[in-house]
Amino acid sequence: MSTPRRVVVVGAGMAAVRLADGLAGRAQVTLLGEEPHPPYNRILLSAVLEGTHAVDDISLRVPDHVDVRLGARAAQIHRAEREVELVDGRRVPYDTLVLATGSIPTLPPIRGLVRVDGRLDERVHAFRSLDDCLRLDAAVPGARAAVVVGGGLLGLQVARALSVRGLDTEVVEGGEHLLRSQVDGKAGRILARDLRRLGTTVYTGARAVRLTDEGLVLDNGFTLDTDLVVLTSGGRPSTALARRAGLTVRRGVVVDDGLASVDDPVVHAIGDCAEHGGRTTGFVPPAWEQAGILADRLAGSRATYAGSRTVARLRASGLDVAVLGDPEHIGGDVVEVTNPVLGSHRKLVVRDGVIVGATLVGDLSQIGLITQYYDRGTVLAQTEPGALLMAERPSRPSTLPDDAEVCACAGVTAGRVRACTSLEDVRASTHATTGCGGCADSVRSLLASRTLEGITP
Amino acid sequence: MTRTHCPYCSLQCGMTLETPHRGALEVAPWPEFPVNRGALCRKGWTATGLRGSRERLTTPLVRDRATGELRAVDWDEALDLVAGRLVALRRDHGPDSVAVFGGGGLTNEKAYALGKFARAVLGTSQVDYNGRWCMSSAASASHRAFGIDRGLPFPLADVEDTEVLVLVGSNLAETMPPAARHLDRLRERGGRVVVIDPRRTPTADRADVVVQPLPGTDLAVALGLLHLLAAAGAVDEHYVATRTTGFEDVRRSLAAWWPERVERVSGVSAGELRDLAGLLAGAERVMVLTARGAEQHSSGTDTVSAWINLTLALGMCGKSGAGYGCLTGQGNGQGGREHGQKADQLPGYRLIDDPVARDHVARVWGVEAGSLPGRGRSAYELLDALGTREGPRALLVHGSNIVVSAPNAGHVAERLAALDLLVVADLVMSETAAVADVVLPVTQWAEETGTMTNLEGRVILRERAVVPPPGVRTDLEVLAGLAERLGRPGTIGTDPEAVFAELGRASAGGSADYAGIDYHRIRDEYGVFWPCPSADHPGTPRLFADRFPTPDGRARCVVVEHHGPAEVVSDDYPLHLTTGRVLAQYQSGAQTRRVRDLPDSGPFVELHPQLADRIGARDGEPVVVVTRRGELEAPASVVDTIRPDTVFVPFHWVGANRLTNDALDPTSRMPEFKACAARISTARDRVATPGTRLVGAAR
Repeated sequence: MSTPRRVVVVGAGMAAVRLADGLAGRAQVTLLGEEPHPPYNRILLSAVLEGTHAVDDISLRVPDHVDVRLGARAAQIHRAEREVELVDGRRVPYDTLVLATGSIPTLPPIRGLVRVDGRLDERVHAFRSLDDCLRLDAAVPGARAAVVVGGGLLGLQVARALSVRGLDTEVVEGGEHLLRSQVDGKAGRILARDLRRLGTTVYTGARAVRLTDEGLVLDNGFTLDTDLVVLTSGGRPSTALARRAGLTVRRGVVVDDGLASVDDPVVHAIGDCAEHGGRTTGFVPPAWEQAGILADRLAGSRATYAGSRTVARLRASGLDVAVLGDPEHIGGDVVEVTNPVLGSHRKLVVRDGVIVGATLVGDLSQIGLITQYYDRGTVLAQTEPGALLMAERPSRPSTLPDDAEVCACAGVTAGRVRACTSLEDVRASTHATTGCGGCADSVRSLLASRTLEGITP
Repeated sequence: MTRTHCPYCSLQCGMTLETPHRGALEVAPWPEFPVNRGALCRKGWTATGLRGSRERLTTPLVRDRATGELRAVDWDEALDLVAGRLVALRRDHGPDSVAVFGGGGLTNEKAYALGKFARAVLGTSQVDYNGRWCMSSAASASHRAFGIDRGLPFPLADVEDTEVLVLVGSNLAETMPPAARHLDRLRERGGRVVVIDPRRTPTADRADVVVQPLPGTDLAVALGLLHLLAAAGAVDEHYVATRTTGFEDVRRSLAAWWPERVERVSGVSAGELRDLAGLLAGAERVMVLTARGAEQHSSGTDTVSAWINLTLALGMCGKSGAGYGCLTGQGNGQGGREHGQKADQLPGYRLIDDPVARDHVARVWGVEAGSLPGRGRSAYELLDALGTREGPRALLVHGSNIVVSAPNAGHVAERLAALDLLVVADLVMSETAAVADVVLPVTQWAEETGTMTNLEGRVILRERAVVPPPGVRTDLEVLAGLAERLGRPGTIGTDPEAVFAELGRASAGGSADYAGIDYHRIRDEYGVFWPCPSADHPGTPRLFADRFPTPDGRARCVVVEHHGPAEVVSDDYPLHLTTGRVLAQYQSGAQTRRVRDLPDSGPFVELHPQLADRIGARDGEPVVVVTRRGELEAPASVVDTIRPDTVFVPFHWVGANRLTNDALDPTSRMPEFKACAARISTARDRVATPGTRLVGAAR
């Protein structure tokens, strides 16, 4: 199989850059980015809003010789001619086309979001692109209060960021609890409590129905007086271009195990816009996995994509959340420890000894290991899931038995130290304390207890 | 009373040897020597344990063709035989049919003579040494960044003056115990110690912060920390702008390594990374020291580069009490790599393909520059080629026990067996000597004089304290005897002090310049730090204060990516295997396993209680570790200080390196000793067929 000469990627987001990285030196790559900004790490936008990262800090490195065209919006794909037509009429020829168009936010049905002139009410913000983030960032200094619509991962991140920036922040979630598509009610309630403790009010089971001059009106009768309304409640794969090109689109652009469109072998889709095995994903790791596999395939490998394991991590100061897979729907034996006093809820879903899903809220002390087990599909013993959720209890005997080694450097046991009369004696006759010096305290206390034993009848 | 240094690790602790009565030799402290101030570990205290041992070789041995057994011969017969075979091989197959393999435990004089012997006597390009398996990744990365490779660019005691000390893959409390005293003094002064290691080692027990990443992910951890440091505004912008190049590219590479991604890759939680980044960001002085845990990977060079990038970003290199350093492992790991036993180098750390370097060294050697061979194979590649159609047919080994220490050791043993001639110079019947055609008994430490260069770049002197047993020769005498028989009499000197002076001339003008160092100065000054270009030069304890020895005087930041170990865990091999040392043994154990006062526990397999439960293993009972290359049965050591997804085996005994991976770092040619995929079972549940589903296997 020969290497494609011209790979054109519609999109210049995370998946697109990863693909370009993987193809570096193996193809002539063009990225068509709709946004005016060079590629950046989208998942750090809430960090920019919070102020922990500057815009420069989230700028992604693009390999040399990749042609990145900014402000280049694709209007049509001419599959027969193998060309992408941009809105300005220019055409970009391809040998291989990759759709990495991501997703677009959906507007919730709230009256008053859009003004009579067809523009969004100026209090209303989306939070998908860097421009969205910068616009919101610019509005923060003049604002006192904000309402975040949507209690999902993005909503909580934005709420925390705004709260850290000093705004009175409220979260409105239509479902019965926060993170309703990822976690159970216990976890959601702990999060709501954490947020309240951090000064953010949470309204669950409440829908925003109207935006008026008084504020955001909820269907429970409350009206939230606010300067900013941030919509985080959903997105859908951006598929209009594919649809117009006659490619099969369900929720996303339907691709096979080779990440090619089921209609056209030279057109591929990766990331949020792609639908594989009936699923779309909204996370970076699967998008990157797809990008890596596609890069290898375009360079001649026969690697295939078989779906990804997802680990969703909330990036928000003061809230510790990780969701591995889909713990509420996968099914299996559930091992869980909830400690409302500490504000933690941890749950492992185990099938045939394998952790197939997990929710960790408020205590991520074992996340490094649990994630490894989940990612590798490690078969655990029956005791292990429980042990993973228990606190470690290091135990040390209070008095050292005579055969316990006190000084590793010289190989000296407690008994030999006890047989000595003084520190000088220990040094001369055993060489204990003459190496790394780490046993000096133990030796002193052994000698001291020996003295005590000597006087005590 | 003789002042000398311990025969083992790169700390080269000062000690004195006393002969209280005839025939006895006892170790006593040398309290004034600044590196260890009189402290020694049990290896040092018992260092005279091989003297007079029945295990010492005292006569040359030649394998009898008829019986296949080794039989004693006299020196002339042994050397005549070796020289005759070498001449014939060279005549029939060219000079590269003979290879030379050295060691990082050899003195500077021997390392220099070995390289000279290979190039000027044998005319072979095929010379390398086991230091490739030691600190070569750090050496490559240091060269890339700083234009020079000296393990520590400052005296070890400077550790006490830093604020935050980060040890990456170092277990110095066990591998060089007296060095751990510096950690304690640092902490007494309010400094903090950070240890990054998959195992909570005795070194970690003396640390304030312990981070336990998966084996082979130190690079990702460094990227994640630098991501956080850059975002926090902790980059020293003035320093980066005036003293480095390439940082802007590095900065842009960091956006892809946010903490939650690093967490998933490394098993270190984002919270731990943030805490550690906070500690580093708030410190005026940060020192990062790497050792084998970070370096012995197929991405070892890039891993070290990532940590160097971090120290450069913080503006630490060249600042007092701060910077980057490598804790070299072998006794003369530093000097051994500077004077020409490395396939691509000539004395003074010169590159063998640099025409100016060739001219200079050829002049000192009195040969034509054109007669010097070019670059040869790196250590593992050399061994891998032995006995093949293209590869060497004879191998001379000095100061290395390849059969135990090479990666994928089962394969290496097969290559050795394919040789026409294997000659091993050693002091005991090591596992490698045991398979040789000719074994040459050589002097050990305390029976000969020579210099070493410790981990600080301090050149020190080991003085002869006793007369060697009859029948034993020095390595220099062996090489001189062979040179004479190969028609190059006088090429190799036998007086160490004279060889050192020649080495000084050969190194003059090179980056490791020893020209101004002599034995008197070493005695008077507690060693001399290179570079020391002239007799009136004070030596250079600290590097980089004003500039880096690169063409533009700036340090180079290099963009590096994390790719992880060459071998990933799989259904059949679901665990990570890593290797390391124990306190009472040194390297392949050829010496220490024969010292009666050192406990020789044999290999063991360290695993976590959770994993032990999973496979039904109990502490002390035998378990079997299997990798794609080999297997090892040894008692289980069940400890809660290791990651539950990782097992550890010490490498001082035959077996550990039959398991390890021979994937090489593309730059340093370092094998991946420290990470491969393995499975484990109890000996009674031993399952030989791969693919069988075990508890503990992955789906």
